[in-house]
Amino acid sequence: MNIPVPPDRAMLVQDLAAPEFRCGEIEGRWRRVAICWPHVIIAVSAPARPQSPAEYGFRFECSGYRQNPATGQPWDLASNGPLPGTRWPTGPAMVPSVFRPEWKQGLCLYLPCDRMSIEGHEAWRNDHPSRLWQPVRGIICYLEQVYELFHQSDYSGARSA
Amino acid sequence: MSKPIIFIQVHGRPGIVEAELSEAATLGELQDALKTAGVPIDAETFIFVDESERHEEGDRGRPVEGIKHGARVHVSRCKRIKTTVHFLSETAEHEFAPGARVRRVKEWAVHTFHMSPKDAAEHVLQICNSTKRPPSDTPLHELVEGHKCALCFDLVPEKRVEG
Repeated sequence: MNIPVPPDRAMLVQDLAAPEFRCGEIEGRWRRVAICWPHVIIAVSAPARPQSPAEYGFRFECSGYRQNPATGQPWDLASNGPLPGTRWPTGPAMVPSVFRPEWKQGLCLYLPCDRMSIEGHEAWRNDHPSRLWQPVRGIICYLEQVYELFHQSDYSGARSA
Repeated sequence: MSKPIIFIQVHGRPGIVEAELSEAATLGELQDALKTAGVPIDAETFIFVDESERHEEGDRGRPVEGIKHGARVHVSRCKRIKTTVHFLSETAEHEFAPGARVRRVKEWAVHTFHMSPKDAAEHVLQICNSTKRPPSDTPLHELVEGHKCALCFDLVPEKRVEG
């Protein structure tokens, strides 16, 4: 008997096969690692920095996708577990304001597009309109923000570097 | 072995269209691939590969340079996009190819306005009279509205997420 695929999962699978996501994969911006519904693990590339990785893994929880925002947790691809806070990305100002291991026990990024972080932060809807979750774009809008932080902001490497 | 994938972006049409095209494709084969993908080509459209400054023209048998797996093909109504950037009290203008990415505009603006690497990291391009801050990989012609071949950005401080 075929079990119907829930619509949120079907939508995520569709987005991971869409040209917008594949274009990012071929250009080396990110890559799909695994799906274990309701999670998807995606690695986002980072520029070369001393003693720092070439990419960071993230595990996104995608229940209710795409109407509900995803929530993303830095993920250790080798051990398939949460990335220890000492290995989170950092920098002088912008990057550490988003990558805060102490926030929500390291379960999410401090970004307005993140489902867990937007809770209780209604002011962000006016303060950071370009950083909000966009249901029409889905996971791409989250990945783009992380990629931009690594490549266009003040990323200096891993905390332990 | 499968053919390389190209990504087609069309002026005034959101999204990306995927197609297959040989790396040794001629202009005629590229035009045919665009037609098959539902992208009309006429005398007012110009085809650019990636961030090339030169649009593809000539006879159908001419080889197209730059086709490779993952290449972006831009079908634009513009040959160039006149780009204005405001920073504090200064304004600068430059013409870019339609396939040039937003990051190239920022690099040019950072150089033009003599910004330090620290300041550059803390500023982003925002489309004038809007709150839109397009990702750095966005090709310029994707942002152009209507038939005008012009864009305007403000180079603004990136606000830290706080609260």
